[in-house]
Amino acid sequence: MKRMRCRPSLCGRFLCPGAAAAAGPGKPFPTPQAAWRALSTVSTRPNAAVPSPPAEYPAETVVLVTPSRDPLSSAKLAALHARLSLHPKFPVQTLARALIDQSAERDRFFNNSSLAFLGNTLLGYYGTEHFLCTYPRLPSVVLQAAMAASVGPRPLASIGREWGVESAFEPTPNVDAGLLQFKRLPPGTVVTGSLRPPRSQGVTDEEAMADFVRATFAGVYLHEGVAASKQFFRQHVLSRKLELDKLFNFVQPTRELSRLCAREGFDSPVARLLSETGRMTNTPVFIVGIYSGNECLGEGQGGSLNEARIKAAANVLKGWYLYRPFDTADVPSKTDVYPDATFKPTMIDSGEVIV
Amino acid sequence: MPITALRAVSKAQNGVGAFVLQCKRLDFHYCDWAGASKGMKSFLTHKLPEFAKSNPQIEITVSPRPHQHPIIRGTYINGREKVICVRKLDHQQILQKTELLRNSSGQRLRRITKPVKSMNEGVRGIFSPFHGPKHVI
Repeated sequence: MKRMRCRPSLCGRFLCPGAAAAAGPGKPFPTPQAAWRALSTVSTRPNAAVPSPPAEYPAETVVLVTPSRDPLSSAKLAALHARLSLHPKFPVQTLARALIDQSAERDRFFNNSSLAFLGNTLLGYYGTEHFLCTYPRLPSVVLQAAMAASVGPRPLASIGREWGVESAFEPTPNVDAGLLQFKRLPPGTVVTGSLRPPRSQGVTDEEAMADFVRATFAGVYLHEGVAASKQFFRQHVLSRKLELDKLFNFVQPTRELSRLCAREGFDSPVARLLSETGRMTNTPVFIVGIYSGNECLGEGQGGSLNEARIKAAANVLKGWYLYRPFDTADVPSKTDVYPDATFKPTMIDSGEVIV
Repeated sequence: MPITALRAVSKAQNGVGAFVLQCKRLDFHYCDWAGASKGMKSFLTHKLPEFAKSNPQIEITVSPRPHQHPIIRGTYINGREKVICVRKLDHQQILQKTELLRNSSGQRLRRITKPVKSMNEGVRGIFSPFHGPKHVI
C-alpha cells in the first residue's frame, strides 16, 4: 500500500520537537540531537546517575533521564513496536511518549495528551463514517452506542491490553519506557459524575490505556500517513466483532412499526399467526408474521401470542434500520487518500421514526 | 417512546485484521557452574541472537540462576506463564522448546473436540419444524 507522508506543519503541532524533526522529509530516523530531546520525558527532575550528554548540545535543551527511561534502550518498547507491525518511520520515541499519561507528567510537550486528542478525533471520524456509510438508516442513539462499543474507552482499553501493554506500578522517573505510566486514583474514588477528581490527581487504568491507544493511532497518522492510519484502524478496530442488531432496545416496537409504515406509505402492518404448537401445554410456541398488504415483512417466535407479535415487529424494525445498500458507498476519507478518486456518496435517509 | 440502545463492547478476533503474537516475553535462566546448563549456555551464545532477530515482537531476557536447573519462562498477553525446564538438553532441543513457547497462545491446554469454534451464528440457522413442507403422518 502506498504510504503518504504527513504534513510537516501538522507534525510540528502535535509532536514533541525531536519527533517532529524525525518525521520531517528525508529523515526517517531522528537525528542525535532530536533523539535527545524526544526521549526527554522528565523535564524538571535532574538525576545524577545519568551520564551527561555530549557538550555540543545547548545546556537548556539537555534533559537528564535514567537509562531505563531511554526509549532506545527499552526492550519492551522495541518489542511493542514490532508486535504492532509499526513502520520504521514511526519512531519508538513517539511510542514512548504515547505511554506517558498526563497524570504522570504535567508538561504537555512530554505527555500523550495532544496525541490522544488527535487520535480520538481520528477514531471518531473513521468510526462514524464507517457506520453511517455501511448502515445509512442507523438511528442516532444506536450509532452512538455502536461508536461507544467500538471506539469508546472500554474497547480501546481492551485493545491496549491485547497489545500486551503493561502498566507501571507508580510513574517514577526510573520505570521502563515500555510501560504505561499514569498516576492511579486511590481506591474507592468516585470516578463518575461531578465528584470525579481532576485528571492531574490520577486516572483509572482504563482511561490511561484508552489514551495510549488513541495516541498510538495519532502517531500512525502523523508518521506513516493517512492511508496507513486507515489501514491500522481497519486492522485493529473494524476487525473486532460487534453485533449491531444486539444494540437495539425497542420500547414499543408495534407502535413504532405502524408509524413507520404510515410514513413510508406502506399498508398498515397486520400480525398473522403462521404456525403454533402446544397451545394448551406448558411450553407453547407461536410463530407470528407481520404483513403489510400481501408482503411478509418479518417473523417472530415466542411463548405467547403477544411475545411473538412484539418480537416480529422488532425484527421488522431491525431489518429496516440495519439496511445495507447493495453497493457500499465510499467513505468520505477515501478522498483524503486518493484526492482524484471518484466518489460515490452514501444514501441519506429521512431518519428514524418519531413516536 | 423512542428507540434506546444497549451498551456493548466489541470483541477481539486476533488474526482477523491484525495478528498479535501472544507470547510477549521469554526469560532464559541458566547456571554458570552446573553441567545441566551446558546445552543452555551453548544455545544462548549460538542460537539465541538469531532467534531474537527473527522474533522482534518478543522481549527476551537472559539471567543467571545459580545452582538451579536451566529454564525458559514464557509470559503471555493473557497474563499466564509457561515454564519449561531444559536441564541436560542440547541446544537444538532447547530451540525446539523455545519455538514451542513462542507459538503457544498461553491458554491452558485443553482437549479440543469441535473442529471449528466461532462467535458467528450458523449461516444455515436452527432447524424449525414450523417452516417448510408439512410432514403428513
